[in-house]
Amino acid sequence: METESNDSRKHQLASGITAAVLVGAISGCGIRRRLESLDSTQKIVWMPPPSDPNIVRVVNRVSFGPWPGDLHDAACKGVGGYLEEQLGAELPEDSAVKWRVDGLDVQQDVQDSPDVLSSLPDDQLLTEVQQVQLLRAVYSTNQLAEVMSDFWENHFNIYALKNAARQRIPVEMETAIRPNILGSFENMLLAVAHSPAMLAYLDNNHNQAGTFQRVNENYARELLELHTLGVHSGYSQVDIHQVARCLTGWTVSGGFKQWQFEFDPSWHDDGTKFIPFLNLHLESNGGVHDGEAVLHRLAHHPATATHLAQQLCMKFLGIAHPEVVESASRAYLRSNTSIKEMLRPILLDGLTRGDRCAPVFKRPLDLLVSSLRVGAADSDCAGGVQDHLSTMGQPLFQWPMPDGYPESAAAWKSTLLPRWNFASALAGARIAGTTWKLRDCLTTASAAGGDEAVSRLAEAVCGVPASMPTMQPLVSTLRDHARAAERSGVSEVDTITEVTALLIASPIYQWK
Amino acid sequence: MSMDRPSRRELLCGSLLAALLGASASDSLASLKHIVIDPDTSNGAQNALVVLFLRGGADGLNIIAPYGDEDYYRLRPTLGLAAPTSRKGPDHSRLMDLDGFFGMHPAMRPLLPFYQGGSFLPIHAVGSNDHTLSHFQAMAAMERGLPEDTGDIASGWLARYLNASSSANDSPLRAVALSDTLPDSLRGSAGAVALTRLSRFELEAPTGTGGTRHHTGVRAEAMAQTLQTLYCQRMTISSHRTEDLSAVSDATLRAMKAVQRLDPDHYRPATGVDYPSSGLSLAMKQAACMVKGEVGLEVACINVEGWDTHVAQGSDTGWQASRLTDLAGSLAAFFNDLGNAGQRVTVLIMTEFGRRAYENTGLGTDHGRASVMMLLGGGVRGGRVLTKWPGLAAHQLVGPGNLHVTTDYRNVLAEVLVNRMRVQNVGHLFPGLVPTPVGAMRTVNPAAIA
Repeated sequence: METESNDSRKHQLASGITAAVLVGAISGCGIRRRLESLDSTQKIVWMPPPSDPNIVRVVNRVSFGPWPGDLHDAACKGVGGYLEEQLGAELPEDSAVKWRVDGLDVQQDVQDSPDVLSSLPDDQLLTEVQQVQLLRAVYSTNQLAEVMSDFWENHFNIYALKNAARQRIPVEMETAIRPNILGSFENMLLAVAHSPAMLAYLDNNHNQAGTFQRVNENYARELLELHTLGVHSGYSQVDIHQVARCLTGWTVSGGFKQWQFEFDPSWHDDGTKFIPFLNLHLESNGGVHDGEAVLHRLAHHPATATHLAQQLCMKFLGIAHPEVVESASRAYLRSNTSIKEMLRPILLDGLTRGDRCAPVFKRPLDLLVSSLRVGAADSDCAGGVQDHLSTMGQPLFQWPMPDGYPESAAAWKSTLLPRWNFASALAGARIAGTTWKLRDCLTTASAAGGDEAVSRLAEAVCGVPASMPTMQPLVSTLRDHARAAERSGVSEVDTITEVTALLIASPIYQWK
Repeated sequence: MSMDRPSRRELLCGSLLAALLGASASDSLASLKHIVIDPDTSNGAQNALVVLFLRGGADGLNIIAPYGDEDYYRLRPTLGLAAPTSRKGPDHSRLMDLDGFFGMHPAMRPLLPFYQGGSFLPIHAVGSNDHTLSHFQAMAAMERGLPEDTGDIASGWLARYLNASSSANDSPLRAVALSDTLPDSLRGSAGAVALTRLSRFELEAPTGTGGTRHHTGVRAEAMAQTLQTLYCQRMTISSHRTEDLSAVSDATLRAMKAVQRLDPDHYRPATGVDYPSSGLSLAMKQAACMVKGEVGLEVACINVEGWDTHVAQGSDTGWQASRLTDLAGSLAAFFNDLGNAGQRVTVLIMTEFGRRAYENTGLGTDHGRASVMMLLGGGVRGGRVLTKWPGLAAHQLVGPGNLHVTTDYRNVLAEVLVNRMRVQNVGHLFPGLVPTPVGAMRTVNPAAIA
């Protein structure tokens, strides 16, 4: 049944016809979506949201936000079943999404000949590396995997505008990050340490054994502070310096092979090393194994487990509940650094329990993608939406410092206006390359506007029944707005557009 | 949010309460309109502080270089800048002499007239007590006004100043971050807004394109009012109440109104002033527009990226020189644009830490301790280099080869606040600080430093 549902979205996208719509019908467990026809008069069948508030919280955070029908699907499978399915990350992926992504020049080049990436124009590279991420975030059926892809992209942040980074990011994403999104952290860490994008971004390609031990510490420092142990774990400047020595000679090939890793033995510090914090002795002439030994030890260190577990708890729960952090880091260490095993307690024992969660403020990327999904958008995810993402403050791969975009509300809440203008543009169909079908949730009876239309739109956007007490102030304010608009001569169609924009701009939709 | 001015929230959201209690919707909207978006610009022409944060740890030793310290060239055989008296290279590749010991990087030539005129002050060997040498720890400390980041104080030093000196008549553009996100120094200030371009700081109605300008303006106004009502509502998610965003929303709408009156679309810099084309210059130009427009700007924060020079940092030319060219050019254009209004403005240039005294094998410098802090503009006792120079000899450096911090950066911030801003006592703004005079500013309020 799920396969069929994926197929339908696939066909819809493959058609490239924006008018294509989905028809849903409840059939046993789960929603059944199938392509009825390309008739533009077909609507998404609107269904009232589930009354269990756990479901919308879980779906909002495990995914980039519900696609129409997702809440029902999760309600029917049960939260546990839904989570296991997302953790499995083996739902058939939409071939049309794959087609759209793989059709981009950057993706073709990654597969065929990465050396050609350096000949693509800079603007195209920057647009397409973002487009790849956005298309997958909006359309992938394995939403948790895409949420984690974004998480790791920020964890191992690279600034696309430094040197030639944008030419190297596609290879990094496809070969270092994505194969390990829910797999082994150790493998991901090793792959990132071998990736020219990271080595060049953090200057390790200049890390050369020298007189007076003047090695380049940049990558070594961020490796310990951001990628693995965390700044308060207790290591010192001595550890940073020793790790930097281990990584001398880890560099990027020259010429047309600048997307390839190279170990240059002539740059490597061949002396003995001792890293006190890791209690790691390395004999002389260890070569490339020095760095590999360090990375292995770092991946399996308890401080790394705690650091990662805390970050993931903040991401999914909004709070680092000590019990959950503890069980997640234990699961990680027991499972040979499995990311999936670390997530399991966070999602199953944390996210499923309201008392272990705090509200999470949507970053601009979360707001943008959840809005596109909630209205079953057909979007090329190119310049039109990317301009809004940029104005809201989160152009992908463009955070200069190595710590990645912030997750906290404090960082984002002072830029509400670009969010409101994004909501207006989306509801008003003014984003190039993007159409949106939220209005299809209205029935014949409610399409004429009025209180019923407001309730339906509010339920469709928020995923919560309008009758819930928490929804009433919102619904009542929007009804007032609609009445006032109609009194001052605004057409029914335009009034519905305004109400829709206000819903996307509303405070409730900035949180998840 | 304990930082809220309660009076405003009561005013703002009280009318919502009235609506819920049965008053008619139109009454509540009318009262909201009056209260929400009527900016107060009565104190529009007061002093302003513009804070430039050089992100990444700027190498103070090659910005204001101690060419008179014999160890400088030993530690930096490649990166060291030629002394003013040296015969090496053309004139414009050498340091500009400041006092016979320090020289200014040649790329900063546009600031030389300000130095000579006494309004530019470099303060050397300044820093915090952060020993992690982590960007994020060091920035967290400095933006919160702490010796080091202990994690227990969340508010920024500027936010604490703004809250302590807040009044009912505060301008909606009192504190502006010219960036995509709010810097930590302003966190906790409900009235601070972040924006990148004044000319785009307006709310668009969704159906704007079809209607007349008047019609779209009316619809945008209606949308703004409904948004303010919505942002007064508190929600509960997973049994926790979400943070109150009403003050932020209110600040945004009031700032929007004030910006509209400023008419930034038609802003023209003073005749003959040519801002470099850069993100920094764009931000400085927005700041100049607000200062000259007398909209009550008191604090502006600007991020300047690109100072983490681990590799190929260059010397008289190269990467760091290009950053300094932009910095000096933008600052000079800013003050030339401001003209007399520049006397009301003090620019404070800070960075999270300096860099290693010796160059590395990649011809860059790794993270260090002390750096240079710079002040420019009104009230500055400039025209000299202020420092207790710690020296560059092996026994004088700390840790793996870092310049010793001899001036606590908080004393400089305190002195600027006391002498230029509306603050009577800085003690509570910098927890644990026993203020020590630095002598950076012309003193107007000697009692307040105690």
